[in-house]
Amino acid sequence: MMTAAIEYFQFVLAPQILIGLVLGVAVILVALGLTIIFGLLDVINMSHGEFYALGAFIALALASIGLPFWLLLLLVPLVMIPVGYIVERGLIQRVFHSGERHVTTLLLTFGLGLVMEDAFRLVFGPNPHKPETPISGAIDVLGVFLPLYRLFLILGGAAVVILVALVVYRTRLGAMVRAAAFDRNMAASLGVPVQHVYAGAFAFGIALAGLAGVMLAPLYSVFPTMGRDFILMAFTVVIVGGMGSIAGVVVAGLLLTQVQAISSLYISPVWSDPIVFGIMVIMLMVRPQGLFGRLGHG
Amino acid sequence: MTYRTTIMAALLSATALGGAYAADPIKIGVVTPLSGTYAGIGQQVRWGLELATKEVNAAGGIMGRQVELTFEDEEANPAVAVQKADKLFQVNKVDFLTGTVNSGSTLAVGQVAERAGKLIATTVSFADSITGDKCSPNVFRVNARAGQQSSALAVWLSKDKPKANVFYLGPDYEMGRSTVAAFKSAAEKVGAKSTGEVFAPLDSKDYTQYFGQLRSAKPQVLYTSVAGNDTVRLFTQMQEFGLLNNLTVVGASGTVTAQNLPAIGKAAEGFVTGVGYSAEIDTPENKKFVAAFKAANKIDPDLYGADSYGLIYAYKAAVEKAKSTETDKVRKAFDDLKWMTPQGEKTLRAADHQAVQTMYVVRVTGGKFSIVGQVAGTDAIGPDACTRF
Repeated sequence: MMTAAIEYFQFVLAPQILIGLVLGVAVILVALGLTIIFGLLDVINMSHGEFYALGAFIALALASIGLPFWLLLLLVPLVMIPVGYIVERGLIQRVFHSGERHVTTLLLTFGLGLVMEDAFRLVFGPNPHKPETPISGAIDVLGVFLPLYRLFLILGGAAVVILVALVVYRTRLGAMVRAAAFDRNMAASLGVPVQHVYAGAFAFGIALAGLAGVMLAPLYSVFPTMGRDFILMAFTVVIVGGMGSIAGVVVAGLLLTQVQAISSLYISPVWSDPIVFGIMVIMLMVRPQGLFGRLGHG
Repeated sequence: MTYRTTIMAALLSATALGGAYAADPIKIGVVTPLSGTYAGIGQQVRWGLELATKEVNAAGGIMGRQVELTFEDEEANPAVAVQKADKLFQVNKVDFLTGTVNSGSTLAVGQVAERAGKLIATTVSFADSITGDKCSPNVFRVNARAGQQSSALAVWLSKDKPKANVFYLGPDYEMGRSTVAAFKSAAEKVGAKSTGEVFAPLDSKDYTQYFGQLRSAKPQVLYTSVAGNDTVRLFTQMQEFGLLNNLTVVGASGTVTAQNLPAIGKAAEGFVTGVGYSAEIDTPENKKFVAAFKAANKIDPDLYGADSYGLIYAYKAAVEKAKSTETDKVRKAFDDLKWMTPQGEKTLRAADHQAVQTMYVVRVTGGKFSIVGQVAGTDAIGPDACTRF
């Protein structure tokens, strides 16, 4: 009886939890930029998935001229920053100050996403690409098989989350951003360059999306519609975790992907999406602000 | 005098003032996905049809009439396909229609054709029901259906991996469930043992969550009918988890294609499938076709291009046999029609309008498909399940 339980844990439950953990980190990486843009700018970025895809495509292009993966981890987010900055100043800023901010920015970013998806198809063609996995091989974790790149993803993802939290909560820059998010007029009168802070925060979120694109491309391949992959899940995580909360994204991201992973052991995996979105609906009804409050409003 | 009348006739026909007489073109409507997920398939359909039409027209057309193709984008969406087919029948007055890719589109457009009193043929759709329980007197299929592909693969399996334990993984929708069911029954008939099945949602990101089930079933053979980018993910993730060692992966003919093979890379090595066509078929007819196709489009034809090419010749043969483009006469001429295609002679079975043809078993070796076996058309076709006519 006891050995059966241990075997069940080792061969069925533990691998599933571990696999869910990798998915969780993937979702968190995509949702992180989304929640920062929402929490700080109050903009629902519908094109976030396409920026995630853009990161992957830039990595693909740079890798084809011989740049190593580890350099791309640094380079792609750096390339994405000016892109995000220009998008914010050139597009979002123009409709940001109207009374219908949520509707106009949502429609604007939605349209931008559609344009980007078609642009990927025109430039890179409709067929999928598969970057080489940068680390091959695997290890045994408590008797559970885990490819090394997935282990790297878990550890790297954790490092990214910690770094982002440190920047937002422990630096002067982060304090300015949080102040601007809480009360932009007060922050402006205290000398915070609000315009640049907004554009910078958007660029930061976009850079995170790009980083997620680089890190996940070896696992999930690169193709024009890849932006749709994680975006629904990422939005759900942002809503359940509390819009704009970094801790919320981590907790909700891990929680929801574990629910998916473990529930798919017992019921058809087709039900995992309805379960997760059901949780989101209940959350919106019971606690619309999410598990944690909004960033800057703690 | 004769010189002048010839000139006049040429001018009249060129400006379409000539009215309905012999030199009027035969119009074929093509409703095929030119954008969206299946654009790559639609492209092959278009290239195949255009090449055959060019050849037929250069050789004098069908009964002296030139053939004219009119394309409409169906976006692989049955609702759009129905509108576009309606337009082609009612406005463009096409004589015949083809091109549908999505099995749902073929079934829906078949109903449009019945109402319009016209004939259609699919050169791509796999679903058995099109020439099975949902057959229509106005619908023909010149490509091999899922059942034919499964039987060919099962025959290979019984020789190469006799009495193997087989695990099944399909995408969770009509196509996935029907392909798995078809192969399962074909494989069990030849002595294979089924050890489990799982259906993953379409566009699954991560197949690793099913690997536990796959591992514990200890299969020697995995059958899968995922397609497109789903195949890229499934295969590369299996490679990542070391599952491809000591496992033979077989699948539907749409699982690994020229479109996703480069992305799958080494993980596709050894993949085996049953198909109705391969560019590798070593016959003079096929070599000639491949060379012409490559010269025109700079790429090898795949099964969709080849079957679409063959359709124009089937229609030509039927119209010439019927000496008319009238629906009833052409339908009769199609019954048990034998005609030549790049992959050899095909026969359109009168009982269900399904083409009977030699089936091939191909395996990926060194990043390319090569033929490892073939099964006679009559052994792969299966019984007639059409009860409507």
